[in-house]
Amino acid sequence: MDLLYLSVYVLPPYVVAMFLFGVAYRISRYVLMYRRVPIRRRSRPAFKLLVGLVKTFIDPLVITARFRVSDFVGGLILLHILGVIPLIFLLGQHVAMFSYWFPPYSALRFLSIPSSATSPALTLTAPVKPTSSMSWTFVESIWGPLTIVLNGDLLAVLAIMGVLYRLGDRLWKASRNMIHIRLGDFTALLLLLAILVTGFFATHHMPSGDIVTYRFVLGLHILLAETLVVALPFTKFWHFVFGYWYGKLHEWYDLKYRRGAL
Amino acid sequence: MSTWEEFSFDAAKAGARAVISRLDSVLLHFVENCVGCALCDINCPYTPAGEEYGPVEKAEPLRKVIRGQVFLAARILPWLFSAKLPRSAEELNRWVELAYRCTNCGLCYTTCPFGIHSGVMIQHLRYFLAKSGRVPALLKMMIDLETSGNILSVESFGKIWSELLERLKGLGVTFDRKGARYVYLPSLAEALITPGAITGTAKILNKLGLDWTMPSVPLSVHAPIASLVGDSEAVLEITKRVAGYVTEIGASTVILSDGGYPYRFFRFDAHALLKKPLGFDVIHVVELLHEAMKKGALKLREADQRITWHSPCQLGRMGGLIDEPADILSSASKNFVKLKSHGFFSKCCGGGNGIACVVPPTVEMFEKLLGGSIPIPEKEKVFLDKLFRDMLVASKAKVDEIRESGASVVVTACVGCVQTLHLAGKVYELGVEVKTLSEFVAELLPE
Repeated sequence: MDLLYLSVYVLPPYVVAMFLFGVAYRISRYVLMYRRVPIRRRSRPAFKLLVGLVKTFIDPLVITARFRVSDFVGGLILLHILGVIPLIFLLGQHVAMFSYWFPPYSALRFLSIPSSATSPALTLTAPVKPTSSMSWTFVESIWGPLTIVLNGDLLAVLAIMGVLYRLGDRLWKASRNMIHIRLGDFTALLLLLAILVTGFFATHHMPSGDIVTYRFVLGLHILLAETLVVALPFTKFWHFVFGYWYGKLHEWYDLKYRRGAL
Repeated sequence: MSTWEEFSFDAAKAGARAVISRLDSVLLHFVENCVGCALCDINCPYTPAGEEYGPVEKAEPLRKVIRGQVFLAARILPWLFSAKLPRSAEELNRWVELAYRCTNCGLCYTTCPFGIHSGVMIQHLRYFLAKSGRVPALLKMMIDLETSGNILSVESFGKIWSELLERLKGLGVTFDRKGARYVYLPSLAEALITPGAITGTAKILNKLGLDWTMPSVPLSVHAPIASLVGDSEAVLEITKRVAGYVTEIGASTVILSDGGYPYRFFRFDAHALLKKPLGFDVIHVVELLHEAMKKGALKLREADQRITWHSPCQLGRMGGLIDEPADILSSASKNFVKLKSHGFFSKCCGGGNGIACVVPPTVEMFEKLLGGSIPIPEKEKVFLDKLFRDMLVASKAKVDEIRESGASVVVTACVGCVQTLHLAGKVYELGVEVKTLSEFVAELLPE
């Protein structure tokens, strides 16, 4: 049993179990610590509250774009919007893998993106329909010529740049003795970087094309990704699943719904 | 009196336990969901005074305290999860420096991509620090005075209040009248710093023909002043005192003219602390004016000056009254101009959360009033001097906005804002008149 076999066929149920345990642990603390208190609110029109809800989510993005361009480009655009989110959820290989583990995920196959702009297999721009024993291929992808930009190679490079930007930012702040910089900041970013680099290497059969190395690198990539899933509820990656949504909804409730600050 | 040179690890541990007992789901979110992006730095008034004064950095000491007490992994591996209590007087004093660079204006809250209110965390940090023996002397004096309930035990305060009462009697004001529908609650701080707001509000309430009364003695210095150091027990005591007075009068509504933290607290937060409704409504005089003008029941004479409105953070962003004061002023003067940042993201004056009330010029003002010096330890004096310099840096953006507006009068509605704008305006030679909204509107009431 090699690393690839272990990560694809053995570990997934344990990973999911630990992830769910972590989620239950984190959520249960919020439920247990919830204190019901009487509130007084200021009445405001429903439409204004709805607009306020949208603005609650958009305002920080606008502020970042206006006042901190490096964070907007490096942190938000490269790392989140162009990099990690489409890479994780829409890269063709990932859609195939997730669909194997969780068949309903195949509903997203029409959105899948190829791994490379120059070898656009699995997309509309593919010159030759791939030979595959799978019951479906990705030729239905809707992206068409956009795959010149929307492809794994480019997005991986952008995401790596985003992670490096964040690492550099943390190192700079650590060098200035900022007390909010923690070891956990670096471990989380380094894990993300390792996942991106091993994924890129596996796609390009690097550092060598032999099957043993390929299976090891791909297995390592999946194992690291599984580590991230297990760690997610216990680390700052949790913001993606819960912290962001809860935080902004609570802010809207507190400031706009309750206090009427519109 | 603390000399700011002692340190007791046992006191720090007791402080940590006291803070932990307040942990609820909202505070838990604030503590654990920060990813350290530091975007909150962008709008914090204190970041220009030093990158170490950004909200994420200032809230970190509280996170260190809570992590070590609450999270299992952090208890086992504190160095890995950055969980620790201060270990020396120097470290504790450094935390004090951070905690007193926060005006609790809420700008970090609205800027944070995760809705984390660092200001609330810093209030809890101040509580931890108070339990560890660090509260600015003047603030402690005022908290003790307010908690004692005998506000006028200080002779000079009694004299100022009596003179104010004489002026109010001349306006036909009745005191402690049972059965009145409205109770107006001015504080001692307003009598000392913005007396015009009290007489102005009295004139407005009379003009509106309301059935109102007010206490013959101030119920508070600036209730609940203990909230500035996060002391919920003392805050609860003063809240009960105020609620008891209003219930005794039998009024259905309390009117405030101070749009600082007293308004935010009594309007929105007191119920949660009491764990039951107050039993009466709390409104700001701005709301009465806005309603009356909207209905056409009040029309002001027009002012000639170019005026602008500085929105107190606790009245606007944290209190929900953003457009109402601007509406009133725009109908009072064709020369009303909004400040550049007017609205939900209105800039803070830089002196809120008790900062302007403890800096050296305010200490000197109180020393004059009290006729003697306030005993302040040397270390605290150094702290206060630097705090004043940093407060002026934090105020600069607001001062610049006011200057750019070209206004000759800046109207606001908060004792802290008035004090800050006076101090900063003097240093930066702003050359504008600072008036409270009640004072300004009262001058424009029709005959």
